[in-house]
Amino acid sequence: MAALELRSVSKAFKASKVLDSVSLAAEEGEIVCVFGPSGSGKTVLLRLIAGVEQADEGSIMLEGRDVTDTAPEARGVGMAFQNFALFPHMSAFDNVASALTARRASPEAIRGKVEKIARLLKIGHVLEHAPRELSNGQKQRTALARALVADPKILLLDDPLRNVDAKLRYEMRLELPALLRTSGSTVLYVTQDYKEAMALGDRIAVLLDGGVAQVAKPADIYREPATLGVARLFGDPAINLVPVQPLASPSGPKIGIGGASLSLPASYAHAIGKRCMLGLRPESLAVEAQPSQESFDVDLVAATPLNEKTLLLLRTADGRELLASEPNADEAPRRHGPAFARFDANAVLLFDAANGRRIAPQSA
Amino acid sequence: MTAAAVKSHEAAPRRRKANLLPYFLSLPALLVCVGILIPFVTAIYYSLLRFRLNLPMLKGFIWFQNYIDFLTDATFWHTVRVSLLYTALTVGVELVFGLTIALLLQKPSRVNNVISVLLLLPLMTAPAIAALMWKLMTNPNFGVLSYFVQLLGVSNFKWASDPNTALFTVVLVDVWVYTPFIMILLLAGLRSLPQQPFEAAALDGVPRRFVFFRITLPMLMPYMVTAALFRLLDSIQQFDIIYPMTQGGPGDTLLVFQVRSYLEFYQYTNVGKSAALLIILWAITYALSNVFIKQWLRLRERARGLA
Amino acid sequence: MESTSFIERILRGAALSLIVIFFLFPIFWILLMSFQTNEEILRIPPSLFFTPTLSNYAALITGKLATVSGTLDIAFMKNLWNSVLLSTASVAIALALGVPAAYAFARFKFRLGEDIAFTLLSFRFAPPLLVLLPLSLYFQALGLTDTYVGLIWVYQLIALPLILWIVRGYFEDISPDIEHAYRVAGHSWGRTFLRIAIPLARPGIAAAGLLAFIFCWNNFVFALILASADKQPVTVGALAFVTASGIQYGQIAAAIVLSVTPTLALALYAQRYLVEGLSLGAVKG
Repeated sequence: MAALELRSVSKAFKASKVLDSVSLAAEEGEIVCVFGPSGSGKTVLLRLIAGVEQADEGSIMLEGRDVTDTAPEARGVGMAFQNFALFPHMSAFDNVASALTARRASPEAIRGKVEKIARLLKIGHVLEHAPRELSNGQKQRTALARALVADPKILLLDDPLRNVDAKLRYEMRLELPALLRTSGSTVLYVTQDYKEAMALGDRIAVLLDGGVAQVAKPADIYREPATLGVARLFGDPAINLVPVQPLASPSGPKIGIGGASLSLPASYAHAIGKRCMLGLRPESLAVEAQPSQESFDVDLVAATPLNEKTLLLLRTADGRELLASEPNADEAPRRHGPAFARFDANAVLLFDAANGRRIAPQSA
Repeated sequence: MTAAAVKSHEAAPRRRKANLLPYFLSLPALLVCVGILIPFVTAIYYSLLRFRLNLPMLKGFIWFQNYIDFLTDATFWHTVRVSLLYTALTVGVELVFGLTIALLLQKPSRVNNVISVLLLLPLMTAPAIAALMWKLMTNPNFGVLSYFVQLLGVSNFKWASDPNTALFTVVLVDVWVYTPFIMILLLAGLRSLPQQPFEAAALDGVPRRFVFFRITLPMLMPYMVTAALFRLLDSIQQFDIIYPMTQGGPGDTLLVFQVRSYLEFYQYTNVGKSAALLIILWAITYALSNVFIKQWLRLRERARGLA
Repeated sequence: MESTSFIERILRGAALSLIVIFFLFPIFWILLMSFQTNEEILRIPPSLFFTPTLSNYAALITGKLATVSGTLDIAFMKNLWNSVLLSTASVAIALALGVPAAYAFARFKFRLGEDIAFTLLSFRFAPPLLVLLPLSLYFQALGLTDTYVGLIWVYQLIALPLILWIVRGYFEDISPDIEHAYRVAGHSWGRTFLRIAIPLARPGIAAAGLLAFIFCWNNFVFALILASADKQPVTVGALAFVTASGIQYGQIAAAIVLSVTPTLALALYAQRYLVEGLSLGAVKG
């Protein structure tokens, strides 16, 4: 039994359909990051689960119980809102305690629990302050504490790090996983930042155009994105996409880039003749000074060193721009001008240009 | 169960139960008011009747005869004229006066704030009581204002008891009571105006008169329209000052709509005619209030947009 | 502007002084009159110097007015009490009815909602007599004439639209997520309304309640038509007072002072709410 399950949930506001038949499940204690560009319906999804919005269609199950028509207060979920939504007329303590007072706990028990979670989140010293006296980071921690304090079975976090500054976001990204593990809750974590999703999630659910495009482990999403859209969202710099049409040859499928004819692994034989998009991660492109068997001619236009890697902007013979990244080495800086690029044939991704789906390699 | 992004086809659209809460919350307020709406419909019906309380046997349906009678009734046209004159005078004077005061008090300083609070006092005085205050002050025997006027060399100034000065007197009381209302609205408006245009004008050395007519006034216009229309609707329905002060007199000098229909009802017990008069007044205010609500909604949008 | 010249400052000061005199002199003068005997009031020229007497107030409070033709019983204190009762009860009921309705209009986009809101607003613009004259005939039939219940009901016409429109604006300014957060924390709708929505809209509720109280207190025409002497508020009572023969001017002045003191005191005490209510009620709604 899944701790949380959405079955074909749809939601429209006025004429625009925000969620279209979304199904998703999370196991007990699992952290699922809901990731997608802004406007993809992530927040709405969370609000439907919390009961703050009502689904138009479909049903929502929490621990096997259908809660689709249940009032928010009876669902037993904890939620941290993106804009914190602290109660401005209550102290930080009362804000956090609000999740316990509804459950008729004794004042001593409430105090004990609030102080424990406050210590954990380092807001013990500001509990008597009003929200307007708190810094942004303290507000955010108070909102988290409020969501966590009652040990909810389901914890919904709506982009909790979005409205805090970069330093705090960095710290929280380190602290949060441990905190969420100790809570034991099943967590749905909405974020717009794919790195946050990769760092925090046991699995990532990618929301695109109102539907779930893929649900998978972070590494799998990166290595085997289900669609072109998903592939574009993960990776910085973004994946290079080149329209290709694999052709048959005695030595296996071939594609043409910038006039060169390059080999694809034989496992892509079933893609022959299809109009495709070739996906090349920047780190799977190698740039060399000398030509080799499977290399193609490029012009090295620019090299931008970053902290741990260097970005190379390449231009192919037919004018297409590609980005490559390589680890920084202590060698002499790259010289601009003609060079030769080569990709790792086993790391390429191939997508069907007609529907954007990935074409998985097939073992012969 | 593994995670799945499966499109299932079994989910049928669920019928949402309608949310009754908002109706439940607003119904009591509405019911209380509906009870008061019934007489409104009754009034329309009465206005189509020959209906005199002292002559019940004559009661009968006469369609629009009450209204048609007004067309040839000189006293009716007198009522229309006096009502409009009263409205034009009070709204005009209060607008100019209120704007002047608001401009004088625009800069938030301690003195200005104290004054603006003190000026609230006339507005918080019941208009009927204010009328009595002025009646005491204009009493020909001992009234302090009568005395002042005499000092100025005007003898025999009879204020509200002279047909020539009665209108002036009640307008004066109206101005005393309601100018602060306009002043408060315009002061709030003035203080909420964006500062950049004024700073830019000051940098460019634009003359102050030009700034006032080309920047301040246009930006303040929505507030002025709102304030003016609020007063317009109240003024054309004036009763609270004129009735306690003069009962519509001397003679028929100050028989504005509501005072006249009140007397028509209680003095001449002519319910039909009284109702017809009020329906005409209502039609005028309805037309004005429609203009007003549109303007007010636009202003509200603006206020929200800026906030 | 800092560059105001000396002459301009003088002119500005003079103008403001005249304005303050114009608006405050009547109140000041009536206050003085209320402490004077008839002889002092009738003096020509009027004077600021006199021996203050409390006899006018004493007469009003005891209800025994000494006139040339003997002692006159007058129920002014009863009028004052009626004003307190009518205004307080009307505002209390209007708040109980109006605040939930204002919340409904602010939070739910429900069918008829806007229609209902506009119907209520339009009460503000109908000539009062249009409703009152037929209503007086109905009240006679229903036995509501000259009852507190009937008057308080009609006073809703003043208080309810005001409360509805001012408080609605305040509710609209509260982020719905604050209420959502409280519900997700496990609290019912009712508790959320009482613990979150109402406290956060309190300044608006206070401003609207205060304004409604003052408008109810100051109302004249409703009670003039629907109440007889023993249910009349001060606005109507004071008028009857003036027309009664043989009453001393100082006593009228004292009655006026007693009539306006509650609203003026409230206005000064809560002027911040009042200004906010007046300007937001008109501009922001």
